[in-house]
Amino acid sequence: MKNNSIVHRIGNQIGGVFLGLFLILSTSLMAQQQAASGKVKGSDGSPIIGASVSVVGTSRGASTDGEGNFKINVSRNETLRITSVGYNSADVVYNGQKSIDVTLTVDNKTLNEIVVVGYGSQNKKEITGAVQTVAYKDLKDLPVTQIGQKLQGQLAGVQINQTTGQPGKGMNIRIRGQLSVSAGSDPLYVVDGFPITGTIGAMNPDEIEDITILKDASSTSLYGSRAANGVVLITTKRAKGTGMTVSFNAYTGVQNVPMKGRVQMMDAEMFAQTKKEFYEDAKQPVPVEFQDPTQYRGKNNDWYDALLNKDAPLSSYNLSISSNKERSRTSLVAGVLQQKGVVRNTDYQRYSLRLNSTYDISDKVTVGFNVAPQMVYDNTPRTDGDRGTGILFNALHTWPIMPIYEADGKTLTMYNKFPASTGNIFAYANWVRSADALINETTTTNLLSNAFIEFEPIKGLKFKSSMNGEILRTKFFFFNPSTATSAINVPIPTTAVSIRQNVENLSWLNENTLTYSKTLWDDHKFELLGGYTNQYFRQESTQVQADTYSDDRLPTIQGAININRGATTSGVQAWTLTSYLARLNYNYKGKYLLNAAIRSDGSSRFGANNRWGTFPSVGAGWVVSDEAFMSDLPAVSFMKLRGSWGIIGNNNLGNYTSYALINNTVNGVFGNTVATGAAVSSLANPNLGWETTQQLDLGLDLNLFNNRINFAYDFYTKNTTNLLYAVQIAQESGFGNFNDNIGEIKFWGHEFSVNTKNTMGKVKWTTNANISFNRNVVVALAPGIDRVYGTFHITKVGQPFGQFYGVIADGVYKNAADLASSPQVPGRSVVGSIKLKDANGNGVIDYGGNNDDRVIMGNPFPDFVYGITNNVTYGNWDFNIIGSGSYGNQLLVRHLYSTANLDLPFNVVVGVKDRFRSEANPGLGMYGTTVGGGNVTGIERDWMNSRFVADASYFTIRNITLGYTFAKPTKVYKSVRVYASCQQAYVFTNYWGGPNPETSAQSNGAGDGGNLSPGVDLSNYPVPRTFTLGANFNF
Amino acid sequence: MKNKIILSCLLAIGLSGCTAKFLEITPETNLSSVTFFKTQADFTQAVNACYVPLRTIYNDRSFYLSEMHSDNTYYARNTAFGATEQQEDLADFSIPVSNNLTTNTHVLNQYRQDYLIIARANQILDVIDKADFDATAKADLKGQAQFMRAFAYFELYRYFNRAPIHLTAVPNRAEAAAPVGTADDLAKIIIGDLTGAISGLKSKSAQEPGRATSGAAKTLLANLYMIQKNWAGAEKLCREVVAEGSYSLMPDYNNAFSTSTANKNNAESVFEVQFQEGSNGYNGSFFYNFLPRPMTEVELKTLSGTSNPQPQTGEGNNIPTPDIIAAYEAGDLRKDASIKYITCATTLWEGKTYPVINKYVRPHSLNGNHGMNWPIFRYSEVLLFLAEALNEQGKTAEAATFMNQVRKRAGLAETTASTQAAFRTALMNERRVELAFENKRWHDLARTDTFKEVIAAYGARIKANPFSYYYQKGYTLRSNSFTVIEKYYPLPADEAALNPNIK
Repeated sequence: MKNNSIVHRIGNQIGGVFLGLFLILSTSLMAQQQAASGKVKGSDGSPIIGASVSVVGTSRGASTDGEGNFKINVSRNETLRITSVGYNSADVVYNGQKSIDVTLTVDNKTLNEIVVVGYGSQNKKEITGAVQTVAYKDLKDLPVTQIGQKLQGQLAGVQINQTTGQPGKGMNIRIRGQLSVSAGSDPLYVVDGFPITGTIGAMNPDEIEDITILKDASSTSLYGSRAANGVVLITTKRAKGTGMTVSFNAYTGVQNVPMKGRVQMMDAEMFAQTKKEFYEDAKQPVPVEFQDPTQYRGKNNDWYDALLNKDAPLSSYNLSISSNKERSRTSLVAGVLQQKGVVRNTDYQRYSLRLNSTYDISDKVTVGFNVAPQMVYDNTPRTDGDRGTGILFNALHTWPIMPIYEADGKTLTMYNKFPASTGNIFAYANWVRSADALINETTTTNLLSNAFIEFEPIKGLKFKSSMNGEILRTKFFFFNPSTATSAINVPIPTTAVSIRQNVENLSWLNENTLTYSKTLWDDHKFELLGGYTNQYFRQESTQVQADTYSDDRLPTIQGAININRGATTSGVQAWTLTSYLARLNYNYKGKYLLNAAIRSDGSSRFGANNRWGTFPSVGAGWVVSDEAFMSDLPAVSFMKLRGSWGIIGNNNLGNYTSYALINNTVNGVFGNTVATGAAVSSLANPNLGWETTQQLDLGLDLNLFNNRINFAYDFYTKNTTNLLYAVQIAQESGFGNFNDNIGEIKFWGHEFSVNTKNTMGKVKWTTNANISFNRNVVVALAPGIDRVYGTFHITKVGQPFGQFYGVIADGVYKNAADLASSPQVPGRSVVGSIKLKDANGNGVIDYGGNNDDRVIMGNPFPDFVYGITNNVTYGNWDFNIIGSGSYGNQLLVRHLYSTANLDLPFNVVVGVKDRFRSEANPGLGMYGTTVGGGNVTGIERDWMNSRFVADASYFTIRNITLGYTFAKPTKVYKSVRVYASCQQAYVFTNYWGGPNPETSAQSNGAGDGGNLSPGVDLSNYPVPRTFTLGANFNF
Repeated sequence: MKNKIILSCLLAIGLSGCTAKFLEITPETNLSSVTFFKTQADFTQAVNACYVPLRTIYNDRSFYLSEMHSDNTYYARNTAFGATEQQEDLADFSIPVSNNLTTNTHVLNQYRQDYLIIARANQILDVIDKADFDATAKADLKGQAQFMRAFAYFELYRYFNRAPIHLTAVPNRAEAAAPVGTADDLAKIIIGDLTGAISGLKSKSAQEPGRATSGAAKTLLANLYMIQKNWAGAEKLCREVVAEGSYSLMPDYNNAFSTSTANKNNAESVFEVQFQEGSNGYNGSFFYNFLPRPMTEVELKTLSGTSNPQPQTGEGNNIPTPDIIAAYEAGDLRKDASIKYITCATTLWEGKTYPVINKYVRPHSLNGNHGMNWPIFRYSEVLLFLAEALNEQGKTAEAATFMNQVRKRAGLAETTASTQAAFRTALMNERRVELAFENKRWHDLARTDTFKEVIAAYGARIKANPFSYYYQKGYTLRSNSFTVIEKYYPLPADEAALNPNIK
């Protein structure tokens, strides 16, 4: 039934091919080993691992092993060149010495490091913007499956939350607190110069060479109308060093959900006791099922736990081959990832390949091709979401007295039918059965490719033209058999439903750039860039939804009795973008730096009257430490002041938003005949344009004590205007909203990062730490509108965005006197019911409208986020620990809506035990009386109150790794490192609403998790703790 | 080599020529308003869309605002279920009112759906005169658009007595909020549109069943005149409808109401909301809302007859009150046709056996999905309008002849009321039972200014005996019940927040 088995088969075959390749390659390598050998050390005497050794003028090369040793085929009088990042290179002439021992000196100008920036690369020292780079080699030891997970805690000003533990999903990346009323807030991902249209969630992290984050306007403005959310540049692996290198990385591990952090729900006996008391307090006869709660002692049914897998396996294999010949360079990365999830029936598999090749056709012409096919298979039950789609959410709600298994202890129950007389007004399916029986699978095949030609007719002048293509096909299949459901209140058997969806994306980009660099009069260095680009995107989708199957075993379309026409659709989405861009970099003696850039974007998304936008920026820097007067301060190894200003845009506003569309499915019925109908469904706005962000950045880079301490600080302010905003308009117009550019949000923040080399002797200990403070305030919305509501949120002028909005809980009415003297909800408040604060002072408690008693009661955005990484090496041992955290943010505990429902149709949180029962037994003042039905209890359930808001500050130990390197080469390998690692080792938090304080619902609409409703915990897939064992082989 | 490279550069640039065209990406799966509104087919489709909001209004809203907001029906309280105060507030005359505005969602949605009709009609009426196609077809299409706009304004007129006025399509944000018109302004629009519609629309015999007809337009205008106490005007229009000869009472009262598939737009039907059962989304589901709960699938099946009955939870609405049951004279055939009883074994209310509205109990195929049409105007109401208009003009004897046609079909003797006042009382009760559960009662109470005393007395009866009104023993009404008995609904607060003219 599932194509699961086929995928497995492919997986096994790929595995076999791997093994073959692997053997062939290693034997061919061994044949190259020759007698000449040597050792490379640092000035402190410690061996340098991975230094590259090449014979000048030939293609012969080698690199050093774990003890700094190398072997190479060399003739007398040839020169060996030894290079290693962070050291000055050294040349040695071979004259037959027995051992070629080389000592490299530390390169104090590590700032000469070349950094990939937009449309080129730049010397790090000369950068004027806020740019941060992570070299993949620093992250390669993290056995995690997603790039986002690798970056957590590493970057100042970049908040990365894992909102769900679903394999391959959920990394929410926000640069400098970016947000928008309705446009997207994800950064732009650029892979090898190609702005991709999807995300990087499924990309194999092992394909990556380095990642650059562009944060300020001067570094992002070359991406114009797509730059406002920040830009993530990803460079994939190219061949390096000389000759051929082969490595194989593998790890395997197990994942578990810790007990800590799970929601404290009542067990069977406690729940039955509470039910019993419910009837007693209401002076109603107690149903027979609850008369003796002790009968449920020891017979608890933990529905949440029942959905979890124990020791879910995970394994990953990556083979990398890098070959550098005289005129061609090739790098290949092949990867296999197989992961079972911690929720039953979760299966995630990724098969990926990347081949990057470059050929020097002549001294002046270089061509290159990158091809990266990939396939991802994913089956995850509907775990995330509220009552309709979230089986985890539903499991929390299910009465613990309802049996998971039949009396035989093995067969899953079908459907929990406690009679309606017990107050079981919602029907519960068996979620374990549903998790196993629902099919919810996505197969994604993806081909990313680039081809370029580079031509350098005269020195310093380079023309580059590239053609990039992205093809993405997504095949989605959902089948809900009659025995399963993901929703509460769907009795079994239900109507079987199938959904088939095919989506095909095609995107291409043609870029043509001309760069000219020239140094004039010795000290004036110029670099000019000009470019012209075109990008096209088209998505075609088809969906067929069918229901009412006669047999669950045959979920074909023809097997369905009914095709749901309303949900059977086809669609096309397309956009185009044409751009001109230019940049000037100038510096004087590398000391005074200037940078100016401009991009002009024409976009099909913008209204006909407003098709072109221009995005300029300037940046300047001063390397203070190069000034003569600084020589008096030897402690300062490097100091740079920099500043930048620019305008950038956000064009994530949908493809046809500026048009007045006709909906031609507004059909009438006359008699029994359907008559097609058509109505204007949206208003046109020919002036619609991009969101405009003006950003100012001031930064300081300071290295002290021979670069042992590197410190960076940035302050930024951003002003976003012309917010794309579906302005709510009076519906007397026949329309709910009008898409307009309106309003203003101001952002500002401070970012600090510090890298220190704590000890440098036998024990090398380095620490990287960062902390960032991001703030925002809404300056204006539409004229006459001072607020927009989210689900339980308000975005209000003068306040930060998306604040939790509700009434303040103030205990319960203790007695008649208390009730009489306090403001009440008319017709609903009684002794023992929840007491709320009369914020507007009108004497009654009201909820709804603009002048009610709701107030801002919490903030989903943190005061600050931070990360710290420690790395220690001692001999062949290495130890790494990474932590990151967030402070001062809150989450809205969405399930409390129903898990504290005092009518008890659901299981409830343990705290409900201490509710108000009588004047003599008033409880803790948190939960009110169960007497009175929805009219009374509905207040504290349906009205968002401060009890739902919980502190979600956390500090998570992301990773602990201990490794040992067998550095001595053998016949089989050059070096091997083995390691043990733990991900998500421990979460320090007081958050009680669920296991993941990083969570938040994700949606594009106005509902929970939409832009206006951030920070909602919908009991998503938990993030597991993972133990892994791994090995890296170098051949 | 060099030439090749230059060639490829040129190619790359050539690829990207014609920039303006490259950037012009129009939606492929939707038409745009620029290209629409040209042909007869376009206008026919646009007119069809005007009718669509009626399905939402009558399936989801009207009965809350017009029938449950009267002494005819009440809700069946389910204490195990909450989040029902929006409709309870309407039935209990306790909707929140602040600054002459209300946050009640049913009021809001009714208002919005009416304006959806108005906006769609405005799009048509703005341009239809300029379009070039068959004049007869155009007159009928224009008449339907005018009828629908008048109908929507008529609803606003009855519910709110004032409302913003839009007579052309809104092109942009600035013009979304319009000045508020008075009742007179609204009446003028309704009269103007209906006058046009009466002359443009086809008669029932010539019109496609289900669409607006000249007879429907006349009846709607007569209804307005009844509210305005323009008795002569109403009389004239009703006489024209009678004289038209297209209409007659169905011999069996039961058959005046459609089943899920048959008996639609019958001889008695003047105008009704069209539903179609099936999975295309044109179905109704009001039958289910009108059931007491909890109800087991077995109990439900006796009423719905579907193959896949599902147990019903939540709270039931529009349950006939003891008051309406008592309003039927002995021997009235309409009583059993209108009300039947169902015993719900699992309900918490100790009475267990509830009345349900029988007019809409019609077997259908799928749970939650049926095709019964909803009557807006029936010929019997035209006769009763005519009787009332005549009586108010002192022609009581002639009035009786029309009312007696209705009584005769109900199996009742001719009315004995002979004075104008007695006839007035008899006629109002006749309307009450003849048109029971057709969303007429509240409007009758309001236009005759009897709503205050009738509702206050009704409230007192419920408070005195909640059990008779489906309250569980030991439960009583909320303390703010029957505190807001007003002739008109306040305008919705959410819309007032977006239209500064609404104060």
